[in-house]
Parts: sequence; structure tokens; C-alpha cells
Amino acid sequence: MLHSLFKAFTNLFSKPQTLDYPATPIRKDKEYRGLIEYSETDCIYCLKCEKACPPGAILFTPTDQPSENEKNKKALEYHYNPYLCIYCGECVRACPKPQEALWQSNKKQPIASKQDAVNEQWFVLEAQHKKFYNTH
Amino acid sequence: MSKKTINIPLGSQHISLLEPVRFKFECENETIVGVDSDVGFVHRGVERACTTKFKYDTIGYVVARICGLCAITHSMSYTAGVEKLLEAQITQKAKYLRMLLLELDRIHSHMLCLSHTAESAGFEAMFMRIMGDREDVMQIQELLTGNRIQFDYVSIGGVNRDIDTLRAKEIALQLAKLQKKIYGYIEEFENNWSLSLKFKGVGGLSLEKAYMFNAIGPLARAAGLAIDVRNEIDYLPYKEIGFKMQTGSGGDIHARNTVRLNEILNSIEMCQNILEGLPEGEIFTKVKGKPQGETVVRYEAPRGELMYYIKGNKTAILERVRIKTPTFSCIPAFSDIFLNQSYADAPAILASFDPCLSCTAK
Amino acid sequence: MMQKIKIEIGEVIETIESFYKPKVWHFLTLNGVSLDANKLEVQWIFSRYEALDDIVIYYVEISYETLIPSITELIPSAIISQRELVDMFGVCVEGSEKGLYLDEDSMQKPLAGCSI
Repeated sequence: MLHSLFKAFTNLFSKPQTLDYPATPIRKDKEYRGLIEYSETDCIYCLKCEKACPPGAILFTPTDQPSENEKNKKALEYHYNPYLCIYCGECVRACPKPQEALWQSNKKQPIASKQDAVNEQWFVLEAQHKKFYNTH
Repeated sequence: MSKKTINIPLGSQHISLLEPVRFKFECENETIVGVDSDVGFVHRGVERACTTKFKYDTIGYVVARICGLCAITHSMSYTAGVEKLLEAQITQKAKYLRMLLLELDRIHSHMLCLSHTAESAGFEAMFMRIMGDREDVMQIQELLTGNRIQFDYVSIGGVNRDIDTLRAKEIALQLAKLQKKIYGYIEEFENNWSLSLKFKGVGGLSLEKAYMFNAIGPLARAAGLAIDVRNEIDYLPYKEIGFKMQTGSGGDIHARNTVRLNEILNSIEMCQNILEGLPEGEIFTKVKGKPQGETVVRYEAPRGELMYYIKGNKTAILERVRIKTPTFSCIPAFSDIFLNQSYADAPAILASFDPCLSCTAK
Repeated sequence: MMQKIKIEIGEVIETIESFYKPKVWHFLTLNGVSLDANKLEVQWIFSRYEALDDIVIYYVEISYETLIPSITELIPSAIISQRELVDMFGVCVEGSEKGLYLDEDSMQKPLAGCSI
């Protein structure tokens, strides 16, 4: 009991434990699991990342203006949804060229507002993807 | 003339509740004589999702999101079950790293429960101090896995990230500082006069009733029933790192707090033993094949015994995943403990059970 | 080590009464596995205290309309597993009513016939 009185008294003179964020920035670790980043020139279009993703946040859909990569035989384009992603890193582990074509950075997820209409754009891509796989 | 009773709910919205559960008490002059419980406010249909939508190698991430406090125990038990069906061999280093994260998870979960119990008794200053010390454990977890609560660390065949020796030494030092603070808390919980009025002799469970209701976890160990699943499994080498079962006697709130504090000390010792004696080797081995057959796997989550039943039929989608969570099987015991207690003690008793309703209503 | 023993629906209560001793066996839960559109397997899972992975499962194969007897007089903690079985599969168990997890306006008996 005396010990807690002593502790309460010394607490009067010590700093508070809370950080006043956003005035003090939070310490960010370089191994924080953040956004997935992609480099198109090294990709070999094996589609392993699309199959490995648990929530389906990576999609390859057909496009009219394919890139000049010679491995892109079916004229596909890469799309990534940072709002569906769970940042587990399974896609990076499944990729045959992990630090060149696909890697995980430590940036935080961006904030979306209603005007961006993120969900509606993604549903259009999912419908294109389903149609492509039903006909091939 | 028969006595009249009134019904008072400890409702799904209550100032001292962290979890959405509803108990309807039938009270006679402030003493509880009847209990009716209602769980299932956060039912999300996880068992059906596991057998219709997701493939067997991604279900480890799905079941981790059933609960926030025991996320890694769910994904660890599921992965151990599938590895048993596929007959995979895991390296010793991967087993040690899994045990390290599991014990760190146990430490932060018990600290949350203790701080909530102290808050229900009115001691808000201790609630804030324990939460402030819990931040050190959360920062260690973020250094190891990249995230504070959803670790996504375990996958079929091993673990996802490695740890180097410099970082292991830093973590061992921080755990030693935490150990001194826990000794201070043990002394406070034991000797503080106002906490003892609220905790000693309140909400007790006797040993006979613990056997009758099949109680598990710290609830059973505080009543004297020596059951801990970490003694009864062989897919993780707990005996090599110094596991000791902690029991109490009396079964009241004070005994449960003491069992949890002693378990935190034992977990800190086990983590330090793992960090000193980490073996060499790979952390991941590739596993081929699809699961076939059925198996039952159990593990000790911070709240008790967790069971998974997995049945597969050699396709990518499993046939049945049955999850039995610890709080779910303790609900009959909870309803019995409340009888003949005073209504004013009900929030403190409920906080000492450490209920996790997102696990219960999956 | 896991043992699965098949019994008939009429002898469930006698078998469990002669098998279960409160200080030796620990009752885990009830489980239902849907075999096809008309048949269902109901399991009672027990494990031994202080033994390394000693699990015994008693199971019956019945149709969805059969009435399942209740074991709550022997094992009081089985009531909550029985109520979950009623909700998830739509079967009838003595003394257990619907409504633990599911509301009236949600999808009913979600796991019945699920493996097809």
C-alpha cells in the first residue's frame, strides 16, 4: 500500500506516456508490412501471384494496349487493390522473381473517399476477369 | 407467500463490457437466482466460408481473423492439423519460432484481461499502467512480424520471417525489464486492501463443479483442476523450453488473477530460453499434396482449450472444418458461477472470465 | 491417437453412460458432418485427462429428420453444443431450441448439405 502511494507521488513528476500524434511522428520500422509494388519490365506473366492471393486483390485483365514486354503473350494488364489486400506477402513468396518484379514496401495504405468510387471500378475489373476466364 | 423476482439484464450494451454478450439475471433482492445467456451477436459464418469459398492453403489467413487476441493460435492449430494430414516435417527452428510468437501472444492477452479486471473494480490508475507496459510487448511483436496483432506469421511448412541474433538479444533485454514490472503487479494484486474486498471470496468455482462442467483454461486451473493442453501435445516441444503448469486454489477472482500473473512469468522465462537456444536451419520446407482424411488437433489458447476438426477429400477445397473455441464451452460454467452472487459484483466476475465473444460466435 | 467407434441412434445414451467417468474423460463437443443431401454424421468427441493425445469419437449416421437424444443429464455442459447443432444443420435435438446464432431473417441451416 505504501508502495502504491510512493508510485502515485513520483508519477506527478514524470512525463505522460501518451504520444501526441500527429505532432510527434510515429516511429516506423523498415520491416512494417506495407503496400505491394510491381515492376512491369521484369514480370514474366506466370500469374502465380494472382492464384496465391487469399482475398483476390491482384487481377490480370485483358487490355487493348498491351505493354512491350515479350512475355505478355495474352495481352494482359496488372491491377492491384490496396483496400482488399491483407498485406500477408503470399504473392511475394509465390513470385519466381521476388525482389525484381514484385516486392513489399513499408508505405501505409492510402485513404479513399466516396468520390473516388474505388469499389465500383474494382467490380468492373472483376467482371472482365470472369468473362475472360470463362471463354479461355 | 412466494418472493417476487425482477429481471435485470447485463445487456449487450453496458458501460463495463468489452464484448457483446447479454445475460438476463433474475434477481431477488440483489441476489442472483437465475441466469439466461445470449451469445451470437457477431456471427459471421466462418465455418461455411472455409468449405465453400477458400482453398485449403489460404484458410490459415481466414481463421486468423476470427479473433484479434488469439489470432495466431487459430492459424497455428489449423496449420498443424493440415500438416498432420499431409505428413509434413517441420524443422526444429520453425517450431521454436512458432512457440516464441505463441507465448508473446499469451503475455499480451493476459495483460489485457488483468487491466480490464482492475478497471471493473474501480482502480483506473492500474488499468492505465498495465496498458502502458503492454505497449512494450506490442512493439516487440511489431519488430518480429511487421504488425501488432494480425501476425500472418505461420504458413503450411514453416514460418514466414527469420530473426537475427542481434535482434534476439534486444528482445531478451526488453523482456527482462518487463519481468521486474510483473513482480510489482503481483505484489499489488496480493496486498492492496481495496482490491481484496472486490476479489477475494467472490465468484468462486469449486473443484467438483469444475469436473462436472468440463471447465478449461485459467478458470479450471484456479479451481485446482490441473489441465493444460500444452502438457498433452507432441507437435510442439514444450518440455524442452521449460513449461510449468500454474494452478491455484479456491477458484475465486483473486485465484484466477494469480494464475494469470504466474503464467505471464512462466511465458517470459520460456521466451528467454527460446531466444538463447535458437537452433540453426531453414525456416520453411515446401509441402506437396492435398489433404485427405480427418484429424482432430487441440491447442491451449490464452483462454483455454481450442479444438479443430478437419476433413479433406483430396481436392483443393476442404469438406468440413469444425472449430471449438474456449469461451464457447465455458458458457454453462459461467451461468453456474453467477448464482447466489450479488448483482453489483457481476461486471467484475464477467471481466475475470476473460470472455472473447468473437471466438464464440464465429 | 484417435479412435472412431460407430454406434446406433438407439444406444447413444447407454453407451455414453457406461463410458463416461467425470474424472477420467473430458467432453469436448458435438460435431456434425454433412455426408450428402439426405444423410448426416453426428459425432461426440472425448479426450482423456493427462494423456498424450488420446481422443475417442462416437458417431452415428442418420437422416436430417431423426430426433437426436440429449445427454445433458450426464454431461451438463453439452447443452450449448446441442443448440449450435440445431442452428447449423436444422436437426431436432431433445430439449434444445433454435436461435443461438441465427435470426429469422438470415440464411437458415447453413451447413446442411454443404459438401456438395
